[in-house]
Amino acid sequence: MAMPLLKVYADRLSQPSRALVIFCRVNRIDCEEVTVDLLKAQHLTSEFKKINPMGQVPAIVDGRFKLFESHAILRYLATVFPGVPDHWYPTDLFTRAKIESILDWHHSNLRRGAATFVLHTVLAPFFGLTPNPESAKEAEKLLVRSLKTIESEWLKGDAKFLHGNPQPSIADLSLVCEITQLELVGDERRDRILGPREKILAWMGNMKKATSPHFENAHEHMFKVKARLSSAAGVKTPSKL
Amino acid sequence: MAAMLKVYADRLPQPSRALIIFCRVNKLDFEEVTVNLGKGQHRTPEFKKINPMGQVPAIVDGRFRLFESHAILRYLATVFPGVPDHWYPADLFTRAKIESILDWHHSNLRRGAATFVLHTALAPSLGMTPNPKAAKEGENLLVRSLKTIESVWLKGDTKFLNGNPQPSIADLSLVCEIMQLELVGDERRDSILRPREKIGAWMENVKKATSPHFEEAHELIFKMKARFTSADHVKTVSKL
Repeated sequence: MAMPLLKVYADRLSQPSRALVIFCRVNRIDCEEVTVDLLKAQHLTSEFKKINPMGQVPAIVDGRFKLFESHAILRYLATVFPGVPDHWYPTDLFTRAKIESILDWHHSNLRRGAATFVLHTVLAPFFGLTPNPESAKEAEKLLVRSLKTIESEWLKGDAKFLHGNPQPSIADLSLVCEITQLELVGDERRDRILGPREKILAWMGNMKKATSPHFENAHEHMFKVKARLSSAAGVKTPSKL
Repeated sequence: MAAMLKVYADRLPQPSRALIIFCRVNKLDFEEVTVNLGKGQHRTPEFKKINPMGQVPAIVDGRFRLFESHAILRYLATVFPGVPDHWYPADLFTRAKIESILDWHHSNLRRGAATFVLHTALAPSLGMTPNPKAAKEGENLLVRSLKTIESVWLKGDTKFLNGNPQPSIADLSLVCEIMQLELVGDERRDSILRPREKIGAWMENVKKATSPHFEEAHELIFKMKARFTSADHVKTVSKL
């Protein structure tokens, strides 16, 4: 049988990659997932730069068509595959515009806060970077502000999904996958940040339910990395005693 | 008769200008409401009712409210039937490429340029302390972003991003961001932009395609630039 036309280049350690993989599986989109291992710097190879000159995941190749940036890819797939239910990227102009505004807001707020916080708290050494505690602190503030904004702005009352939508959109998927990355900083830090955010937690539960078992499946790799990070940290502590 | 569409903007920041230019070029019936950031008008409870994020631009179209400039540009390009297709093409593939530029922009060109300009020129006017380290990091990201635009989206002798023969909302948004460099003064601006020939040519194309609205929307930036320059001059004279 012929290989699927659509190739999805992803690393499940990366939040936007997970959102895309979950989207494809939930919607039974015929695609081949090609792993680009960030920890092994596979995103920096010249082969991969031919796929995405930015050297980032996720990226797709659909026949002759190449695309990068996870939100652009999600919009494209939601539109080009006729079987994808409308709620992911509604055709209603007003509902869609509200989703666009969340997708745009995300880059400089939740993503910037969460990704920077995780990088400078645990991930930096794996990418050959020096952790910067000041950056981690600033990022945590931005992250917490962003979570509060999501609650006050888009999860009012007993909204199941962002903006009171009864079913999830690509914005819900993208933002929730960003927040799950907090697992990597360990349970204590994660709970300190997420514990007070009841609406966020309920919403994440709704997202998981709506995309189960693909949601859990896509996060397995990240939980494995979390376990490695925890045991590495555990080995260091005894030496300090 | 009052226009139904209200655009809340301050012509000092880039996303507001892109939106104003778009509305004027397309002759949209709208009312521009100035929200003066320097006077803190974006933090008033009245404005928070318009946009709870307390940022510009924001629109109110009848009962419908929207913030985030890219979301607004997409919405207006779609809801007003007179807007030519090239601004936000209906073709799935052309549109997807534009979306990817609009997305990339936030964490790259915008972050670099806005941080650099803030910590080099604007911080004092907004009651903040300039951070030279942030300015340097911003500049590095800005220069990397400009090079990326040239190598990925302005290949060959293309007039607009991704080889499009006419501008899209991505061209407008990104060029307005680069125009903000006027505020750091001619010398610094030239040190960053002079090596970037394709960027220069592309900016001219966007200006030509949206003249005279482009120039008109940028008048405030040039006034502020003149004020900064004369302030520097006064400082220099005082040091003599």
